[in-house]
Amino acid sequence: MRALLISDQEYQTKTYQGLNDLIREFLNQKGFEVELMESSADNLTFCMGCFGCWIKKPGECVINDGIAQINRSVMNSDVVIYLNPIIFGHFSPNIKNIIDRGLPNMLPFFITRPDGSTMHPPRYDSYPAQIIIGYGDEITDEDKQLFMDITKRHRRNIEVLIYPNPTETIIKALNRMELGRVGGLL
Amino acid sequence: MKNIVLVSASPKINEKSVSKELLVMAGSHIISDLFSKVFIDVRKSILTKNLAKDFETLAKADVLIFSFPLYYFCMPGILTRFLADYHNYFNSRENAKKHVKVYAMVNCGFPEPEINLEAVRVIKSFSQHINAEFRFGILIGGGSMMIEAKEAPFMKKPILKLKSAFSSIAADIQHEDSTTMDSIYIGVDFPLYRRIYHYMGGRGWITLARKNGLKKKDLYKKPYCLKTHPRITL
Repeated sequence: MRALLISDQEYQTKTYQGLNDLIREFLNQKGFEVELMESSADNLTFCMGCFGCWIKKPGECVINDGIAQINRSVMNSDVVIYLNPIIFGHFSPNIKNIIDRGLPNMLPFFITRPDGSTMHPPRYDSYPAQIIIGYGDEITDEDKQLFMDITKRHRRNIEVLIYPNPTETIIKALNRMELGRVGGLL
Repeated sequence: MKNIVLVSASPKINEKSVSKELLVMAGSHIISDLFSKVFIDVRKSILTKNLAKDFETLAKADVLIFSFPLYYFCMPGILTRFLADYHNYFNSRENAKKHVKVYAMVNCGFPEPEINLEAVRVIKSFSQHINAEFRFGILIGGGSMMIEAKEAPFMKKPILKLKSAFSSIAADIQHEDSTTMDSIYIGVDFPLYRRIYHYMGGRGWITLARKNGLKKKDLYKKPYCLKTHPRITL
């Protein structure tokens, strides 16, 4: 079983170190082989909205930087955990670049979900379990709620946790999750 | 005279930007002899390394209006970078400007305007971090239709609503009081609209791919499917 940890080099605070240690220990205990990918402004640029990943080179980003390696690793992991600094209740710039540039893993076209909302269909039959853990110091309750809502209101199979929280709470939440690949219900 | 700074944040290069066009439309509703208007294009600012000058312009603003497309259910990475860096710049400054009003205009390719809500909330949070007053957002579904099909008879109602929303920003800027304002939702919806929208969207992608020498089946390629995983149906 393979786990991919994605972190942001720009915000490697003491809180991050605590979170990273906690997650690595958990994954090691569960028997995962853990890979760490650190994003930075130097190795990853912005999505430029060209849709080349749909109409020029389907399934692959046309920008030649670190994203191909990240997207390949994501699609070949059993679980992906994003360690994300919370900025304005949102992802950090580097992590948001990774999320935006995950678009090649989706198809163009539109589908309607059971709740009536529109979504792009999945490109693959199965995807890794995905968990986003937001961290930071002195994050307001409003920003914490926003951070949860950004993902939970729109994605059906991605879990979101906030750190710091007591270690037992995080471990308990992780233990409740299915840490394996899931069907393409995004 | 009040300084109004209108910020567009489409990451597209050399392509028509819906966010920019909507922002220009919004700007045209603001009476120019009462306000000075400055436009900032985030993509251009970053590419031409003009950030220092643009941050100074932002810091002097009385009103900030952001217009951007929805990327993966929230704001694009390029704007996230711009705002995070501006926040650092803001914190390093002394004598920050008081009573700054902030507005957000978010458009998406999906028909439902409410998908944009979390992106608007991020601009609200950003406003709190720079001690500014977030006023309200304009949430726009089917964004490109507002530009490409604006003359079509079936677009009359949403276009009127859009213009009214821009007038609301123009009026709110002039008020000194801070009466709470609700965000405005503008979508394109009529019987069968969604089905037609989905169908035409799908056809569009296939046509564009063919122009690049691809066949329809090529759109479904799975380049990262290297190992076999058992499929689990949820």
